[in-house]
Amino acid sequence: MKVFVPVKRVVDYNVKVRVKSDGTGVDLANVKMSMNPFDEIAIEEAVRLKEAGVATEVVAISCGTAASQETLRTALAIGADRAILVETDADVQPLAVAKLLKALVDKEGPQLVILGKQAIDDDSNQTGQMLAALLGWSQATFASKVVIAGGKAAVTREVDGGLETLELTMPAVVTTDLRLNEPRYATLPNIMKAKKKPLDTFKPADLGVDVAPRLTTLKVVEPAKRQAGIKVADVAQLLDKLKNEAKVI
Amino acid sequence: MDFTFTEDQIAFRDATRRFLMTEAAPEMLREIWETDAGRSPELRAKFASQGLTALSVPEANGGLGFGDVDWALMAQELGYYGIPDSLADTACVAVGLLAGLADDTPGRDTWLERVVAGSIRIAVGHPINPLVADAHLADLLLLHDKGEVHAVPRSAVDVRASQSIDQSRRLGQVTWQPTSATRVADAAKGQGLWADAFDRGALCTAGQLLGLAQRMLDLSVDYVAQRKQFGRPIGSFQAIKHQLADVATRIEFAGPVLYRAAESLANRRAHASVHVSHAKLACAEAAWLAARKGIQVHGAMGYTWEVDLQMFMKRAWALDAAWGDRGFHKTRINDFVLGDGASLGPGRNFME
Repeated sequence: MKVFVPVKRVVDYNVKVRVKSDGTGVDLANVKMSMNPFDEIAIEEAVRLKEAGVATEVVAISCGTAASQETLRTALAIGADRAILVETDADVQPLAVAKLLKALVDKEGPQLVILGKQAIDDDSNQTGQMLAALLGWSQATFASKVVIAGGKAAVTREVDGGLETLELTMPAVVTTDLRLNEPRYATLPNIMKAKKKPLDTFKPADLGVDVAPRLTTLKVVEPAKRQAGIKVADVAQLLDKLKNEAKVI
Repeated sequence: MDFTFTEDQIAFRDATRRFLMTEAAPEMLREIWETDAGRSPELRAKFASQGLTALSVPEANGGLGFGDVDWALMAQELGYYGIPDSLADTACVAVGLLAGLADDTPGRDTWLERVVAGSIRIAVGHPINPLVADAHLADLLLLHDKGEVHAVPRSAVDVRASQSIDQSRRLGQVTWQPTSATRVADAAKGQGLWADAFDRGALCTAGQLLGLAQRMLDLSVDYVAQRKQFGRPIGSFQAIKHQLADVATRIEFAGPVLYRAAESLANRRAHASVHVSHAKLACAEAAWLAARKGIQVHGAMGYTWEVDLQMFMKRAWALDAAWGDRGFHKTRINDFVLGDGASLGPGRNFME
């Protein structure tokens, strides 16, 4: 069974991002970039499926600038067998990514696509769901456990009241939550081996997909600064403030 | 001269940084400090699985075949995270010594392969260091006797522990008897090997000092951004900014000196030893200043046990004199710049 794992190059989770002075977005100049942490979990899960003999090939895919090759090399160092880069300088939004992935799925015929539930830069949480809809495949989002056997996938999801387990007919799209696994580190010998693994590059036009943005960002602002706390004289005053100022009771 | 690192070198550094960030948090370092042995076999095994022990072992022995330039980067990470382990002694200095032995030296290949697997800890007893780091836990000790190199098993040496101000360093005075059975290189070959080992040890120490300096600066910047006086973070006051700017400048200026020394040593340039001494001095001064200013901006509480700064500060103080103190390294530079044979005068420059 072939497994696709889309990965996104995002600002490293340790970086404190700053909004550009003109409010058009986040300043990415000289900022450390890494693989989206949820996608790392997806790669780890796919590699574990391969190690367990369930998957036969793990293909990492990224859509973005040429610099995304670095992210794909990380995926290869973790254990993916080969990589595909859909290279574009355009701002690829979730729908465009889903269309590009659909084109690649049609071309290569994987049985499973595992991807992060969302990217930590735009927090869209849309690509997996859009891809499943475009393909007409089963989907399970926010997976915290994945078991594949007998042509079906049992996916456990964390929901408000506890755990929910879904049984999916393959082929399927699964998006990963934080507790699905703990990704391994890319070791130095594997980083060297990753250099020799194949990495194919396509353009969106090769796949017949229009990636022009459908959404326009109006404004990006810093979160409001937290106000200093206050002391209240008694319980009555506290209740009054909760009712009338905070309006939470 | 091109100091640009290759993509592989940057990828290695980033992977190591990420690994150490998670696996060597200050709380874990404190736990290891408080154990009797002062070392964590689990951490050592993780280093090996990460490929760190294999870094400069020749490919013929299962290693990655990288060298001193890569170690200049790795040593900075080991310093930045205050790793309580003499990893560089085994994986860089000892590997250099073993790889330099004649190919048919009994045990050479086995030891190198065990370094890759992480199943051996090798302590190096160079005469410049009166005490040997991690001798109490070493499986094998490479010791100096009249220029010769001796490979001595732990069972054949007596180790008397000696306490360091830095609890992450475990030092011992080693007593042993050289025999023909332990000799792996005679004095003629050994002198060159020991000279290389010294430069490699000093280079790794310089790298660690630079990493320590950066860590102390980062800790200080974090602290002054949150500590408030007169209703403002103290980092907004020029008196604090200037102190930390001095440290940042010293670190920036020490980096290229370290990389030049690494490049020089890796390519066996004529004045590699002088370059290494320059690096050791520049990095030690950056670390020393970072420690001093760090205590200042922490309002002296940086010296207390509870604040992480003290761990890195004590390591910097201890490493300052390891693999040659400042006097030793200044003398080497003095001999090059001002010695009787120095190339001084019109038409001469320090590139010669």
